[in-house]
Amino acid sequence: MKEVKTFQQMHRDGQLNRRDFLKVMGALGFSAVAANDLLIASKALAATPVKGGTVIFANNLHGPDDQMDPIVFTSGIDYTRGVCTYNGLIQILDDMTLHGELAEEWTPNSNATEFTFKLRKGVRFHDGSKFSADDVVWSMSRHLGKDSPSVAKSFFANVTEWKKVDQYTVKAILSSPDSDLPIKLGEKQCKVVQKDTVDFTKGNGTGPFRLVTFQPGVKSIHKRNDDYWREGANFEGIECTAITDPIARINALLAGSVDLVNNLDARGIKLIDQSPGAHVNSTPSGQYGGICCLKNTAPGSSDDFVKGLQYIQNRERVVRSILKGHGMVGNDHPISPAYGADHCHELPQRQYDPDKAKFYLKKSGYTSAELFVAPVVGGIEDACLMMQNNLRKIGFDLKIKKVPNDGYWGAVWMKEPLNVVTWNMRPTANAMMGIQFAPGGAWNDTFWNNERFGVLLKESLAETDQKKRHDMHCEMQTLVHNGSGMVIPYHTNILDGVSDKIHGIKNVPLGSLGAYTWPEFAWKA
Amino acid sequence: MLQAILHRTGVGVATLIVVSVLIFVGTSVLPGDVAQIILGQMATPESLAALRTKLGIDQPAYIRYFMWLSDLMSGDLGVSKAGSGIGTIGTPISEMLYPRLMNTLRMAGVVSLVAIPLSLSLGLLAAMYPGTRLDRIVTFSTLSLISVPEFLVATFLVLILAVYLGWLPAIAYMSGNETGWQLIKALAMPTLTLVIVASSQIMRMTRATVLNVMSSPYIEMAILKGVPRKRIILRHALFNAIGPIVNVIALNLAYLVSGVVIVETIFAYPGLAKLMIDGVQTRDMPLVQACAMIFCATYIVLIFIADMATILSNPRLRHPK
Repeated sequence: MKEVKTFQQMHRDGQLNRRDFLKVMGALGFSAVAANDLLIASKALAATPVKGGTVIFANNLHGPDDQMDPIVFTSGIDYTRGVCTYNGLIQILDDMTLHGELAEEWTPNSNATEFTFKLRKGVRFHDGSKFSADDVVWSMSRHLGKDSPSVAKSFFANVTEWKKVDQYTVKAILSSPDSDLPIKLGEKQCKVVQKDTVDFTKGNGTGPFRLVTFQPGVKSIHKRNDDYWREGANFEGIECTAITDPIARINALLAGSVDLVNNLDARGIKLIDQSPGAHVNSTPSGQYGGICCLKNTAPGSSDDFVKGLQYIQNRERVVRSILKGHGMVGNDHPISPAYGADHCHELPQRQYDPDKAKFYLKKSGYTSAELFVAPVVGGIEDACLMMQNNLRKIGFDLKIKKVPNDGYWGAVWMKEPLNVVTWNMRPTANAMMGIQFAPGGAWNDTFWNNERFGVLLKESLAETDQKKRHDMHCEMQTLVHNGSGMVIPYHTNILDGVSDKIHGIKNVPLGSLGAYTWPEFAWKA
Repeated sequence: MLQAILHRTGVGVATLIVVSVLIFVGTSVLPGDVAQIILGQMATPESLAALRTKLGIDQPAYIRYFMWLSDLMSGDLGVSKAGSGIGTIGTPISEMLYPRLMNTLRMAGVVSLVAIPLSLSLGLLAAMYPGTRLDRIVTFSTLSLISVPEFLVATFLVLILAVYLGWLPAIAYMSGNETGWQLIKALAMPTLTLVIVASSQIMRMTRATVLNVMSSPYIEMAILKGVPRKRIILRHALFNAIGPIVNVIALNLAYLVSGVVIVETIFAYPGLAKLMIDGVQTRDMPLVQACAMIFCATYIVLIFIADMATILSNPRLRHPK
């Protein structure tokens, strides 16, 4: 059975523990004894990394705007090249745990307004020059300041300065407490480059691969760095390209022309499951598909209208039939269980309830509305059509205006009263909540301004007590769940296609293929 | 003759200028500019304004147009706006265009080397023996292939030849060090698709025009004189039919240079047409303009050659009264 093989591989690669494996086998109809045999058999599959081999990765997007400058990385292919070429100070591994990369250790002061980083010694850039505190200070300072072009600068708005203490010690000085700073430093844009770099296309980093060629919108070729400061990568070489057509991407994987692909369409999963030679990696994530009802204009200004839309979402059915099970139901706030401890499991799940929806919509006084829909995230168009159909049954006329992705963020999002939206998962619940709901924030896309929420947002960053912190996050999620103009019916899984020859890819909810960390840890056998 | 050439060159240049204005107007009507596309979901009014100034796109459109035109006259295609991102150095357009243009020309060259002789001979064969089983097979199959969209042809070929049989790679991906056989294998699939698409049209045109000429009185005369059918077609009919055939070949060649974006996308082949689409999506005006100029120039040159061939092959046009 194809499923059994997939789960065996997941267990072997450490993505599924023993108990979950046995549970899944039970669900598939195996007896406990048979399931245990399958468990043992899965360990027998080659589990030790093998050196060598070249791997070809096909991203879903690329273009003339591909970058090698970490602070403007925006797409999966940029992130992958970044992981090959550079290192960060800190690395996020599976389970969202933090590990030192170029920083050996880090210590906050008592109220999390100052962080000291001890840097690794003996690390060299690809051109042979020594890595030191100067490079870290220069690279990290590029995220600071109003004019910084960094796409991650909102993470570091409260950082006033990066300071060199000695050759291998740096300090980050913050204007307000932020216990989340280390995890933000694990993001893909926070790579360390050589001080005073002008031409980033050379890719002079400290990473596990040297950049051989970089052709934006065509491909890049990477060769193993034999002088790497730790164990080093398994692959001999990596080639990154993109196949923008979703069906062609799957076909290329099935034909063995490429080894790894990302952003699979849920409809293509069955095809891969049925074919030999490749399998699907499905990772629960925090990315979501949602509907923004602008609170500063009709009809979203009416809380009853928003409630009506929230109760008409048939969430279970969206996940089952549109996402084919590769997703989770949403609870009208962005913090999915993938955020770990900060997810509020105490908050009751909002259920599909046409009667309540009818009651609230009637109370709001609206009988029709127009929703702008672009395919910004998998399943959103179908989910909106399902909603339209369910609304029709209770006598509400929702008009759907389909618009293209092209130009959507500038022309429709945050402008039309009802529009669809997607947000990628951020490394922390606080970063996600802050960027989307901070009162008066630049990307507050429902224009919902709640004072209490703003206070909690600041306080939770300074809170180091886990229990109190969880309670604060719970309150924030409840506020968004009840008061904001967000309707979030579902969270999507990250769906990647992986050749059966490639092993050791971790599941990290922050992005495809182990949040793009596969180049250093996966192997081909 | 010389006057005709000069006249046509003048018309060609005028067409190019008109097209460049149209493209400029067209891309300014699109929602959003390059700054908005770069910053995407993360744009704020301040960051937009800062980036626009940095990229030099805060000037009115007509000023940007004339700046671009004067640069072009001096042979400077400019710097890509999208690739220059922020804080980094932009890639010169010519540097981006050159490898893509070479890829496109290579593909167009290989396809025409196969498609033109194939379709001409099949077309002539069908015309020589009209109504026979051979003619019917050729006519029927080309009619079917013409009606099938190319993405379907391409996807079918991938499914059969790559996914099930595993003979050819599913994409035309090249690492850069392929030689001989590997290169042929990498290019085989897109070439096959385009040969199917392009040759059907040329073949049908050849058959139709040759048969049309065959019904004219002078051919009837030749038949009555007892000239063999093969000689009639190759010596008398073909030369009078060459005008339309050359024109349809020229149009197909131009299509191979500019219109194969679907095939390029499906096979992930880095050609010029895909580059132009990328340019439109990122609102990268200089890049879109450069691609449009190349495509337009290709059409004009090819149609010019086709017209000249028509004139040269026809004594009545060669020596006008």
